[in-house]
Amino acid sequence: MPTPIRRYGHVAQALHWIIAALVVTQFALAYAASGLPLGMERLILMARHKSIGMTILMLVLVRLAWRLRYPPPRLPEGMHAIEQRLAHLTHALFYVLLFAMPLSGWLMSSAKNYSVSWFNLLTWPDLIGKNDTAFTWLRGLHDTLSFVLLALATVHVLAAFRHQFWLKDDVLLAMLPFGKKRKLP
Amino acid sequence: MKRSSTTIWALAAAALAAAGAAHAATYSADPAQSRLEFLGTQAGAPLRAAFHRFTTAIDFSPEAPGTSTIEVTIDTGSVDSKDADRDATIKGADVFDVAHWPSAHYQTKSITKNATGFHATGALTLRGVTQDVPIDFTFATAAGGAKLEGLATLKRLDFGVGQGDWKSTEWIGDEVKVSFLLRLLPRP
Repeated sequence: MPTPIRRYGHVAQALHWIIAALVVTQFALAYAASGLPLGMERLILMARHKSIGMTILMLVLVRLAWRLRYPPPRLPEGMHAIEQRLAHLTHALFYVLLFAMPLSGWLMSSAKNYSVSWFNLLTWPDLIGKNDTAFTWLRGLHDTLSFVLLALATVHVLAAFRHQFWLKDDVLLAMLPFGKKRKLP
Repeated sequence: MKRSSTTIWALAAAALAAAGAAHAATYSADPAQSRLEFLGTQAGAPLRAAFHRFTTAIDFSPEAPGTSTIEVTIDTGSVDSKDADRDATIKGADVFDVAHWPSAHYQTKSITKNATGFHATGALTLRGVTQDVPIDFTFATAAGGAKLEGLATLKRLDFGVGQGDWKSTEWIGDEVKVSFLLRLLPRP
C-alpha cells in the first residue's frame, strides 16, 4: 500500500516558490545594474531591487511565522541522520540569509543616504545615518552573502534533484502541489 | 533764503534717516547659523540636500513689507545631498550644470503680510531660466538681529533642471520644496 506523500501546505509551498522567484529576480536586477554607470537606468533597476528586497524580507517574516505555526513534514525515515542534519542546517542557513540579504541591503542604502522606497508607495525609515565606512563594509557583506546564497541555492537544487531522481523519495514532491510518487522497483 | 533751504534739506534727510531706522533694517544672513535646503523625491524616497554657500541682502521691516526686499545668491556648486556620487550627478550638465550656471539668484518683487506671516513673489533665476516663485515666510526679531524662516515650492522642470533621462518625473519628482532658516545680523 503506497504511503501518502507528506507535503508542505499550500501556503508554505506558495511562499517557498514566490520567494525563490523573487530571489532569482534580485540576482538578475543586481547583475544588470552592476554593469551600468550611475544614471537613470541604474537608479530604476536599483529601486526595483530594493522594493523586491523589502518584499522578500516581509514574506520571509510571514514564512517563518507560518513554519512555526505549521511545522514542515518530516524528512524520509530512510535518510541518514547526518543527511537529515545537513538538510536542516541548509534550511536554517537559508532563513539566516533571507533575512541578512535584505537587512544588509537596507543598511547599505541608509549608510549611503538613499532612503528605501517600497514601489513608490511608502518610504522605509533609514536604519543608520550617512556613513561611508559602514557603506563600504556593508556592500562587501551584501556581495559576499549573495555568493553564499547562490552556492547554497545550488546545493539545495542539486539535493532536491538527488532526492527526486536518484533516491526517488518524496522530498521534492513535498514542495510541489502536484506529482505522484514513483513506484519503487 | 539759501540758509533756510539748507535747513529744510537737512531736516528732510534727518527725517528720512529716522524713518529708515524705524521701518527698514538691512541684514545679511550669518552663514554659520543659516540653512537653505531642498526636498525632492528620488525613486519614491525623499531626497534632501543643502546649499552650503549662499549670500543674502535683506532690507526688511515687518511694519513696511511693501518696501522690503530679499535677495539671495546661491552657489549651485555648494549643493550637498550627503552622497558624493549623487552630488556629482546633480552638479553635472543634465541637472544644475554648475559649469555653465555657477549661481542661482532670487529677488523679491513684492512682499505682503498675511495671517501666518508674509508672502512674497519674486524671480528665481536657476540654470539660466528666470521664473516667478512665491515664498511664504515668518520674520521675528531676535537678540542681535532677526530670524527669517520660510518655504517655497517649485517645479524643477520649469527651470530645465533635469535634461535627457532626468526629464522623466516618474523616478525623480518634478515638485521640489525649498526651505530656509536665516539668522539675520544687522549689516554694518
